[in-house]
Amino acid sequence: MVSSVYIESEIRDHPRARKLLERLRNLPVVEIEHYGEVFNPRAQNFRLQKKNPAIIIARKNDGHVLAAPKGYGLGGKHNYYFSHMLNCIYDCRYCFLQGMYQSAHQILFINYEDFGERIKQLAARHQGETVWFYSGYDCDSLANEPMTEFTDYFIPLVASIDNAWMELRTKSTQVRSMLKLQPCERVVTAFSFTDPVSHSKLEHGVPSIAKRVDAMRRLIDAGWTIGLRFDPVVYHQDYQAAFVNLLDEIFTTVDPQKLHSVSLGSFRLTRDHFRKVARLYPEEPLFAQKMDLDNGIISYPQEREREMVEYCEAQLMKHIPHQTYHPCEWHG
Amino acid sequence: MLIWVAALHCEAKPVIDYYRLKKSHDDSAFDLYRGDDMLCIISGVGKIASAAACAWIAARYDHEASIAWINLGVAGSGQHAIGAAFSLNQVIDADSGQRHYPVSCTSSVLPGSACLTLSQPSEDYREDTLFDMEASGFMYSTLRFSSAELTQCIKIVSDNREHKTGKNRQQVSDLIHQNIETINQQANDLIALNNEVAGLAVTPESWQQLIALAHFSQTQKNRLRVLWRYLMNRDTSAETVLQKISGCSSAATIISTLELLSYQDSEGL
Repeated sequence: MVSSVYIESEIRDHPRARKLLERLRNLPVVEIEHYGEVFNPRAQNFRLQKKNPAIIIARKNDGHVLAAPKGYGLGGKHNYYFSHMLNCIYDCRYCFLQGMYQSAHQILFINYEDFGERIKQLAARHQGETVWFYSGYDCDSLANEPMTEFTDYFIPLVASIDNAWMELRTKSTQVRSMLKLQPCERVVTAFSFTDPVSHSKLEHGVPSIAKRVDAMRRLIDAGWTIGLRFDPVVYHQDYQAAFVNLLDEIFTTVDPQKLHSVSLGSFRLTRDHFRKVARLYPEEPLFAQKMDLDNGIISYPQEREREMVEYCEAQLMKHIPHQTYHPCEWHG
Repeated sequence: MLIWVAALHCEAKPVIDYYRLKKSHDDSAFDLYRGDDMLCIISGVGKIASAAACAWIAARYDHEASIAWINLGVAGSGQHAIGAAFSLNQVIDADSGQRHYPVSCTSSVLPGSACLTLSQPSEDYREDTLFDMEASGFMYSTLRFSSAELTQCIKIVSDNREHKTGKNRQQVSDLIHQNIETINQQANDLIALNNEVAGLAVTPESWQQLIALAHFSQTQKNRLRVLWRYLMNRDTSAETVLQKISGCSSAATIISTLELLSYQDSEGL
């Protein structure tokens, strides 16, 4: 439940801000100068704030589109990411966003046109080559869709740039707005899944697997391009059976031939993020499991990770064509 | 531990009476009232006095796992009726322009308001903000010791353009007393949040018992604290775990035994 709204004074009259304020009219509104004064102070407790985060309506002034971190993406040559929001409405215990910012409040940036300009510039710079733009790195691309109307702006934009591809990474079922748009094959909606046990224990507030599978089906039926992301695969004593159940649930509904791409990777966090999140949730079994530090990344011991990835890949390959598979490469 | 901070006795009196707090005779720097996991300190008027009182009491209770704070007092307003109560969502220091944002993590029973903290009393009221003389000093100080979610300011309007009751001590007490049930509700929500944070901490008693078992290096102590916090926040009693490590002869074996227990416990997520 959202507790309140902060809005930068300067953008109060922006049409998107006005629309958001109208939608959130029952909440207390606090005017601020810059989102950083609420979002950045150190004396904040992410865990407590996550119970009732506020929404911060802001303008992003720079760094609208950034180079994607190494290993992020589907193996393309030019990879960028952008975030029209910071933080997520869901509360997944394995997510690096828990350790990313001081605050659990959700920032909604409203100056889409500035993001759009940068996307156009970068696509033009790589004229004749495919350029990937990833959304959903610092947020869930679609979870706040009824409020943000993100797809209404960004999908037509990407559709109009011949060499641009966009991934919308989501755990949401908010696909209604996409179903009203003309499908674009260069927009890949990538649904993230963990097995049913991990989902029930670690993905707080995330729609059920069945509802997300149904959302995928509706998008496929409407002609949209879909991806699957099994990331992270989390270890627990029943992970093998649980992963098989997950695949069964997905592929009884989804035609694997209709998938653009599938990726899979085991749980990992940078050492700093891991320490921060483990301090926030000291009672969380995920952080009490046996882990190793490898090149600044905390993950399962090599043998366990290899066994998990090999098992899950083998099960996955029973369903999908090999060429759609992209393993998450993060070692070294 | 919840600490109430009020500038004047007349502002604190409704809280002291409601929670039956007893005056402490051990302290001389500030008047202090104690109760069950609750304190009320009388800071004196002004932001510096408020900041000093908060720092003093925080230092005295630094062994507490977590402290929640409420600055309770009266305020001036250009638009609200006498007796209206607010939970501050923005505190602005009139001298420095510095702004603080107390964070409400529960559905506040009180409406929110901004508040401008002045160094001198003023009747030049604004429509959109309350006036007080302590909140910015209180926030400046308490945010050194607790997070913004555990730091609240509750202000009752005592003065507006038509009426001035802020200098009448009995009327100030009465205005706060009229809101005491709502204030109590707000305090209970804050106490629940604070207990959640405090509950995750390692108790000093069990920690002392633990580190007395062997000689631990600082790195081993850090690892020990992580393991102990995990196990103590699961369905495991301190006695059971201490019994399992009672036969361990060194810090390393204690840690590896606790690691094994953690790994086993976390297998099922």
